[in-house]
Amino acid sequence: MAYSELIKNFDRIRDYMRQFYVYGFKCRTEYDKKSARSYDNERRRVESWLGDFMRFRQSPDGKNVFLSVDSRSIPANPLYNAFKAKSFTAGDVTFHFYILDLLHNGEDYTAQEILNLFCGKYLCHFESDWQPDISTIRKKLKEYVSLGILRAEKRGRELYYSRAADSIDLQAWADTIAFFSEENPLGVVGSTLLDKLKTQPDYYQHKHHYMLHALDSQILLQLLTAIGEKKAVQITHINQRKTGSPVVHTVCPLKIFISSQGGRQYLLCYHYRFRKMMFFRLDYIQKVESGADERNYAKYEGFYRKFLTHLWGTSTGIEYNVDHLEMTLHFDDNEQHIPQRLEREKRNGRVEIIDQNTVRYIVDVYDASETLPWLRTFIGRIEKLECSDEHVVKKFYDDLAQMYTLYGGEE
Amino acid sequence: MLFSEVYGTYYNVLAELLSKAVEGDLTQETMFRIVRQKGFEESVLTIPEALKNQTWPLITKDCTTPLEHKPTMPLTTLQKRWLKALLNDPRIRLFDPPMEGLEDVEPLYPPDTFVYFDRYNDGDPFEDPEYIRHFRCILSAIHHKRWLRLQFTGNKGTTHCWKCIPYKLEYSAKDDKFRLISANSRSTLSINLGRVKACFLLEPYADEDYRPKPMKKRILVLELTDDRNALERVMLHFSHLDKETQRIDGNRYKITLYYEQEDETELLIRVLSFGPVLKVVFPDDFVKKLCERLEKQKRMRTQD
Repeated sequence: MAYSELIKNFDRIRDYMRQFYVYGFKCRTEYDKKSARSYDNERRRVESWLGDFMRFRQSPDGKNVFLSVDSRSIPANPLYNAFKAKSFTAGDVTFHFYILDLLHNGEDYTAQEILNLFCGKYLCHFESDWQPDISTIRKKLKEYVSLGILRAEKRGRELYYSRAADSIDLQAWADTIAFFSEENPLGVVGSTLLDKLKTQPDYYQHKHHYMLHALDSQILLQLLTAIGEKKAVQITHINQRKTGSPVVHTVCPLKIFISSQGGRQYLLCYHYRFRKMMFFRLDYIQKVESGADERNYAKYEGFYRKFLTHLWGTSTGIEYNVDHLEMTLHFDDNEQHIPQRLEREKRNGRVEIIDQNTVRYIVDVYDASETLPWLRTFIGRIEKLECSDEHVVKKFYDDLAQMYTLYGGEE
Repeated sequence: MLFSEVYGTYYNVLAELLSKAVEGDLTQETMFRIVRQKGFEESVLTIPEALKNQTWPLITKDCTTPLEHKPTMPLTTLQKRWLKALLNDPRIRLFDPPMEGLEDVEPLYPPDTFVYFDRYNDGDPFEDPEYIRHFRCILSAIHHKRWLRLQFTGNKGTTHCWKCIPYKLEYSAKDDKFRLISANSRSTLSINLGRVKACFLLEPYADEDYRPKPMKKRILVLELTDDRNALERVMLHFSHLDKETQRIDGNRYKITLYYEQEDETELLIRVLSFGPVLKVVFPDDFVKKLCERLEKQKRMRTQD
C-alpha cells in the first residue's frame, strides 16, 4: 500500500510517538515491535506532522530520531497534530463540503433529495463519472448526526436532515479555549476549536507543562464518557513491569488522577473482581469498552472519599494498611520558607512547629515508600525520619549512603 | 469520536482553499502557499494533486468551485460538551466566556473528575474578585498593546511599582499559579499575579518598544543508572524540557537538559528526589550545591 501521511488507526503511532518523545536514544533496529519498513513509515509521518520538533543524532549504533521541545517556549502542544491526521476517502471529503453547503441556509432535505442535489448541483461540474449510492449517503448522514453536526427530524415516514444549531460565539471564547486547550487534560478538543479561529492567541506560556498525555486523549475521552454516564467499563491494560501482555479488567471508573509533577495520568476505579480501589496508568490502557449502568455508583464514590484520606500518590500499599510517618526538619533562621514548603507541598497529614528552627510533618498513608522522592527534596535539613514501615527509613538512609559515595564522599 | 477526519488538518486546509475559491481568489500559487502554511510538511505532495486530478471533486480546473458558501461546520457535540465542562473549572471566572448556545448541553464530565494529587496547596485565588480584576486588566493590556503600571508585593514583603509591557501570561500546573512575564527598556521581570496589589492600563506601546529579553538557558548533564524503572521515571519527569539522551553502556545513560537559570534551585531538588539513580556531572557549581546539601545532611544525621 502506498505511503500516506494520514493514518487510519491511532494505536501504532501512539506507541512510536511516545518512544520518540520519552526516550529518544533508540535507533531503527531497536524499535522491535514492527518491521523496519513500518518504522520508516511511522517516523516519516511524525516528521511530517511535527517537523520543527524532530531532532536527529548519529550514534555508533545508527541514527537516533527523537522529539525534543521545551514546552514553556511554545504556545500549543504539537502532539495534538497526530489526532488531526485521520485518513478519509474521496467520498468522505466530497460529502462533507457539499452536504454542509447544501444545508447552509437552514434548509432540510431527505437523504434522497440530498443525493439528487449532490449529483445535480455539485458533481455535474466535474468530468468524473463517480456517483454515490443512497445507502452511502444515508450512512454518512447518520454519522454526522451522531457527531452532532447535523440533526435529523422524522416527518411522516421520512427523515429530514438539517445543520445542527450553533449559536456559540467562538471568537468570544478565544482566550478561554487557548488557555484550556493546553491546561485541560482533554485539551486536544480545544485545539480543534482553535483551528476554526482566524488568529490564535499566543500570549500564554505553560510551565511544568507535560504534553505526552495528549496521546492518551481517546482513552481519556472514553473513560470520561463512562464516568459521566456512571457506567462500568472493560479496560485492556498492559502491565509493563510484569508480563507485558494485555489483561482485561472490568471496573467502575471514578476519577482521573493527574500528576502535575510527572505528567502521568491514572484511572482510579473500583475493581469488581478484586473488590477494591485500583489505579491504572492511562498510557498503559490499550482499549476501553463501555459496559452496563452502575447502580451502585454513589456507593463507590463514598469508598473513594474515605480512601482519599490516606492517599499520598497512586499506591494503595498492601491491603490498605496504613503506615505512620514522621519527618523532623531543622532549618536556619534565614530558611523560614521550609515550614511554608511543608504546608504547600504536604498531602494529607499535618505540620507541627516544634520550635523556632524545627518543624515536623506527620502523616498516615497507605504506602509510605511513595513519599521517598519528596522526602529526598529535604536532604540537608532532615533531623529525624521515623516510619512504622522500617524499610522506608532504611531505604532512605541506604540511598543517602549511595549518594555520598556517588559524589566522592565517605559513608 | 475524537480521532475523526472532521477535525483533521486536511479538512481545515481544504476549507481555506474552498473559501478562497468561493471568493474567486484561488490560484495555483495561493493553493500551494496555503497548503504549505496550514498543512503538514508533506501535504503539498498530496492535496493539490488530489484536487487537480479530481480525485476529490471540489475545485475545478480553473480554480473555481460549485460551493455557494464559504465552508463552515457547526460545532460537534464533543466540542460543545467540552466547552460546557470548562464552565465548572474555577479558573473560568478569569475569562467569563458567553454561555449562549450551551444552555441545553451536558458537560463532558462531572466537576471534580480530575484530581491533581501532587499539586501545591497554595494556588492562586481564581475566584477572588480583585485577582480576577487584575487578570483581566493584564489580558486587556496584552490585547490592546498597552503599557501597564503594577503595584506588587516582593519576596521580602515590600511594595514595588513597575511600569512594563506585558509579554506573556505564564501558568504552572504544579504551582497552580499565573505569572506575568513583562519587560521594559531596562529589564525583564516575572511577577506572580497573586502578589499584584493594583494594576493600571497606560498608553499604547508601539511594536518597536516590544523587546522582551530571551531567557538564558543553562546546561545540566546527568548520568542515569536504569535501576527500579528509573529511565522511564526520569525521562517522563523531565520530558517538558528540551533534552537529549544517549546510552553510555548497558543500563547507563547520559541526559542533557536545558533549563533556565531562575529554575536552578527547583531543578536541584528535583534531581535529589531521584536519589542515587541520578548523578549530576555538569556544571561544577550545580554539583557543588548538591554536595553541600549532602554534607549538611551527613552532619545532621541522627538515625535511631
